[in-house]
Amino acid sequence: MTQVLLILVLLPLAGAGLTWFLGRTNPERARALTLVNTLLSLALCVQMVLAYDPGLKSGSEPQVLQMVVSYPWLGGGGDGPDIRFSLGVDGISLWMIALTGLLMVTSVLVSWTAVTENPAAYYSLMLLLQAGLVGVFAAQDIILFYLFFEFTLIPLFFMIGIWGGHDRRWAARKFFIYTFAGSVLTFLGLLFIVLSHQTMSAQPGQPLTFNIPKLVADITQLTAPANRANYEYWEQVGPWIFLALFAGFAIKVPLFPFHTWLPLAHVEAPTAGSVLLAGVLLKIGSYGFLRFALPMVPEACWTMLPWVAWLSLIGIIYGALLALAQDDIKKLVAYSSVSHMGFCMLGLFAFNTTGMAGGVLQMINHGLSTGALFAIVGLLYERYHTRDIEAYGGMTRKFPVMAFFFVTVIFSSIGLPGLNGFTGELLALMGMFKADRLYAMFALTGIILGAWYSLWLVQRTFFGKFREPIVEHAYHAAPGAPTTAAAHSHGGEHGAGHGHGASHGGHDDHGHGGHGHAAPRGPVGDPSIGDLNVRELFAVVPLVACMFWIGLAPQYVLDRITPSLAPIEKRMQDTRQAALEMRAKRVEVAANGAEAAGQAGSDVALVGWKQSQKD
Amino acid sequence: MIRTLAPLIPLFPLLACLITLVLGPKVLKGLSHLPAIIGIGASCVCSWILVFAVAASPHPETLEIYKWMLVGGDASVDISISLGVDSLSVTMLAMLTFIATLVAIYASGYMHGDPGYFRFFTEVSLFVFSMIMLVLSANLIQLFMFWEAVGLCSYLLIGFWYEKPEAAAAGKKAFLVNRIGDFGFALGVFLLWDTFGSVNFETILDPVKIANADPAQIALACLCLITGAMGKSAQFPLHVWLPDAMEGPTPVSALIHAATMVTAGVYMLTRCTPLYMVVPDIQLFVAVMGGFTAILAALIALTQNDLKRVLAYSTVSQLGFMFLGLGTGSMLGIAGGMFHLVTHAFFKALLFLGAGSVMHAMGGVIDMTRFSGLRRVMPQTYATFLVGSLALAGMPLLSGFWSKDTILSAAYSAAYEDGHHAEPAHAADGHGAGEHGTGEHGAEGHGSGDHAASAHPVERLSLASAKVAEREPIRFAGLDPKVVYKGLFWMAALTALLTAFYTFRAFFMTFHGETKIPDEAGHHAHESPASMTIPLWILSIGAIGIGAALGHPTGLFDGFLDRTLPGLSEHHATNWFVVGLSGVVFTLGVGVAYLMYGRPSTAPATVAKLFDSLGGLTRASYNKFYIDEVYNALFVTPLWVIAQLSRFLDWMLIDTILVGGISKLPAFLLGKPARPMQNGLVQFYGLAMTLAMGVLLVALVWQQR
Repeated sequence: MTQVLLILVLLPLAGAGLTWFLGRTNPERARALTLVNTLLSLALCVQMVLAYDPGLKSGSEPQVLQMVVSYPWLGGGGDGPDIRFSLGVDGISLWMIALTGLLMVTSVLVSWTAVTENPAAYYSLMLLLQAGLVGVFAAQDIILFYLFFEFTLIPLFFMIGIWGGHDRRWAARKFFIYTFAGSVLTFLGLLFIVLSHQTMSAQPGQPLTFNIPKLVADITQLTAPANRANYEYWEQVGPWIFLALFAGFAIKVPLFPFHTWLPLAHVEAPTAGSVLLAGVLLKIGSYGFLRFALPMVPEACWTMLPWVAWLSLIGIIYGALLALAQDDIKKLVAYSSVSHMGFCMLGLFAFNTTGMAGGVLQMINHGLSTGALFAIVGLLYERYHTRDIEAYGGMTRKFPVMAFFFVTVIFSSIGLPGLNGFTGELLALMGMFKADRLYAMFALTGIILGAWYSLWLVQRTFFGKFREPIVEHAYHAAPGAPTTAAAHSHGGEHGAGHGHGASHGGHDDHGHGGHGHAAPRGPVGDPSIGDLNVRELFAVVPLVACMFWIGLAPQYVLDRITPSLAPIEKRMQDTRQAALEMRAKRVEVAANGAEAAGQAGSDVALVGWKQSQKD
Repeated sequence: MIRTLAPLIPLFPLLACLITLVLGPKVLKGLSHLPAIIGIGASCVCSWILVFAVAASPHPETLEIYKWMLVGGDASVDISISLGVDSLSVTMLAMLTFIATLVAIYASGYMHGDPGYFRFFTEVSLFVFSMIMLVLSANLIQLFMFWEAVGLCSYLLIGFWYEKPEAAAAGKKAFLVNRIGDFGFALGVFLLWDTFGSVNFETILDPVKIANADPAQIALACLCLITGAMGKSAQFPLHVWLPDAMEGPTPVSALIHAATMVTAGVYMLTRCTPLYMVVPDIQLFVAVMGGFTAILAALIALTQNDLKRVLAYSTVSQLGFMFLGLGTGSMLGIAGGMFHLVTHAFFKALLFLGAGSVMHAMGGVIDMTRFSGLRRVMPQTYATFLVGSLALAGMPLLSGFWSKDTILSAAYSAAYEDGHHAEPAHAADGHGAGEHGTGEHGAEGHGSGDHAASAHPVERLSLASAKVAEREPIRFAGLDPKVVYKGLFWMAALTALLTAFYTFRAFFMTFHGETKIPDEAGHHAHESPASMTIPLWILSIGAIGIGAALGHPTGLFDGFLDRTLPGLSEHHATNWFVVGLSGVVFTLGVGVAYLMYGRPSTAPATVAKLFDSLGGLTRASYNKFYIDEVYNALFVTPLWVIAQLSRFLDWMLIDTILVGGISKLPAFLLGKPARPMQNGLVQFYGLAMTLAMGVLLVALVWQQR
């Protein structure tokens, strides 16, 4: 079991090679291999989640980092850099990796017939992306993290640039350059942390460590107020480090105003690209804040709190307004991501376990909801080749099953209780409310706007008078996918035998015919285009099942998240305490007529803390 | 007994929902109503047994089903899904499940042959389940969750005929307006959680804790909760969704948008009574909003021609009455508000189902100008609708009379009697209850057993009230509450008059006059089937008798609720002035309606002339005082414009100028100056090379020197 992370990284890598070599001549083999590969990964992910023990202790301390593997990689020995290939999961990365595993299967299934051009290359790239994503979340070494961090860009760059829509080249280039430019600064920040750690520890002969948990632990000790010199040094450089980290992570999230690459990338990306981009890639940003910024430069985080909070708030409201104004389904969903990730950031920057747990949950939830939303929109696009909202209307009548899932997913993203979105938003907002009521209040307006654009989308596409876009090339006749014709003629028998073996999450297969639509009245519109088939159901149902699971019984997930957040909360609160004491001391010194160096700086830092001092 | 019975009540409708969802489309089809009727019916039987079980048991009980969420740390959150069984919740349950059963039976006839038959019963069962869980919530978050869940069911059922653009739009509107209310509700929950460190009713409704808390926080929290209640219970300014909600199937209008869901706001405020008791100014606010909504909706109802919309505005108006009762600040008013909730559920459900029966026969037409004289065609619907109208209009001795009378009496006391709104009165209320309660239910109250050990809840309440009384009350702009209550009382009386009038206007227009049937009805305009008329008759019995059986004459209702809200059953002398006023108002309203619409000799032209003479007022009423238009102009359109503007700015300012500009900077700063040098002239390169070497040489020599 301890090797599971290594396998999770290597399996898709090996699979990518295998798919490329065996699938070039045979596209069906390529996708079948990929599917098997992702299913194996998913099984391993489930195994990993089950094996993770939230109550594990080493000595008296809880041991949140588990399944650690560590091999010497670069350098090592002497006082040179000691870069290790070390992987491990805590309660946060655990769920991010599991989410990746789940969304990969969906991605393969929604690409099944949609990708006809060089599928071997496409699926190989997807598997490479998976390896990168798992690596990012599992990496316990800064260099390794950064390697995987940048590595994720490359497969996605090609996926967008080759298999994307009309404007794909521009979108891919913008996506790559924008995110890359930011992450270079992030790398500088990370290196600075590593180097100053060595400087501060002042122990010659020690190798230069890149190990993330060790850095966090050491920096906590080194910059304690007792070490006055280090403390003040860190107080000074902290904000700069924060800004460097911010450059990369904020673009990834994306925070307002660094979001403009996102809609373009989403709109142009193939469905699987959108699913993975929204579902997992964006989380690297918020994950980065949680993994690096908060524990390593907590004081700077306090200082920057108002900035981040306001940017998140603007993102929530502005993103929702932009979503409201779109007439392209994918763009609408993309802008809603900006809005949702604002909630996530706000939760993380509440700096208490409740808020941060909400933020992490929101990361998972957004992955599930937006992933599923992009998947369904992709399936709709595959049928009609248009993303124009105005072209659709009353689709419920034709696609009752799709409508059921679409409405469910929309409600999950609106934050309806009983589905996942609510749990994350609730915790994030409660945490933020405790920290600062004003932010929470502004954020709450986002839930009104969120309901507005989402329900309006439903009203325009799935409700109302039936209107079907004119299809030039019916998707089942797509060249290069001969088997699909059979698969879809089955789907074309409207309402007959959907969902064989699709039982999931307590639903019987008949259930999918169930909700939010009229009973079959014979085929409507173009008879060659049918409702979701079995494969497509397999793409969507697991996500929806997870939505219900997290909505109805979030405790299993929370039990694993919160122990990993408790130390961060302690770190943040201790920092605030220390800074307040330090300030008091300085005021005293200043009152004694001495020069209070750096006081002006610390005053700024204290703006945020005053709020929390009320109680 | 209670512990085994309580979980069954939500379980049955949930099972019914899942069964119809799974088996509905392929197996059950036209029999999809069976699981719903059986499930909701079983739940109704359990609820009624539970009423007696609670009556026999000395303590309220809270059953934890499972721990929903538990997060430790600085801002700890501990929420479980649990069932809180006390006299208040079981009263609601008994009413809710009873009406839901009748509506389900009725719908099996009404919805017959609809392509979405199974979907209808799935959603109705889901609604009943959610509503039961809402009522049984023992904490605010759970209440909020199911508050949203019933909102979802409302959304789905309003938009049941999703292909009708109006229905789809109305569903969205209902959800959105409710979301605005929920915004306040959520803030209120957060505030209380922050103040008390818990969301459990047991903690936040503890009088001692309340007395020790910061009153400003509680006032703010109460104000926020009211916003939520105003959304769900369709109070001005958030009332606009309810009339549009009539796009849904009529059984849904009866169940969700008249009898049960819309009263959730009233229920929630009643549940939070201990909180409101310490902030009299907020109570005054509730009363003002309620009273204003009541008269506003009644004025709109005067001129509507759509039978269901008349009833919808009447619902808004009656809900306003309930708010007015809650806002009078006395236990009498709260008792009246709650009691009106129950009686209103009966007669309004009856009226809606009657309207549905008419609509069913008229081929979906509900415009009252297009049919008339239906009493000959549909005698049973006619008779039962008459009962409902009389109850709504407040005919003495029928159920509506008793509850409305209680509210008016409470308003009267608040306006004209001394010491009723003044804070020490709460202490007196508490003491009164103490004397009253010692004999029958000594150790009960709304705390649990261990609370009773420290102090008697009634004593604790009076203690808390006394503490509140010491504080200087905050007044709205120095307004004397008595003056406000005086105004409200007379406004309420006027509303009652209008109610009697518009109810009978609708009644006469529909059932009296010459028999006129629209073409849509075809040749088979007929009385509805037994599955529809039997529920009508059962509800009629309720509309006639429930007021007298449970209300003032017997005191059963107040006595039962007293277990949850001590002081509720304090005996009040009958206010004969108010009784007399009610009688006069009823007679006057019905009489005028008869003169204008009931007499065969009154030509519609006369009526039209009369309305025309009122001119602008009639038009304003007919157009719902243009509130929708105002909202569109003030909020919807500007937001829409802002959204479009953002879209433009996002593209222009942020993406093109900012991001595009920055991305062009390197090229501009470095690339552009360097570009002319790459001019492709070998001579230039040679020159540059030579010059550079020269410079290099000089530099080297310089260094060596």
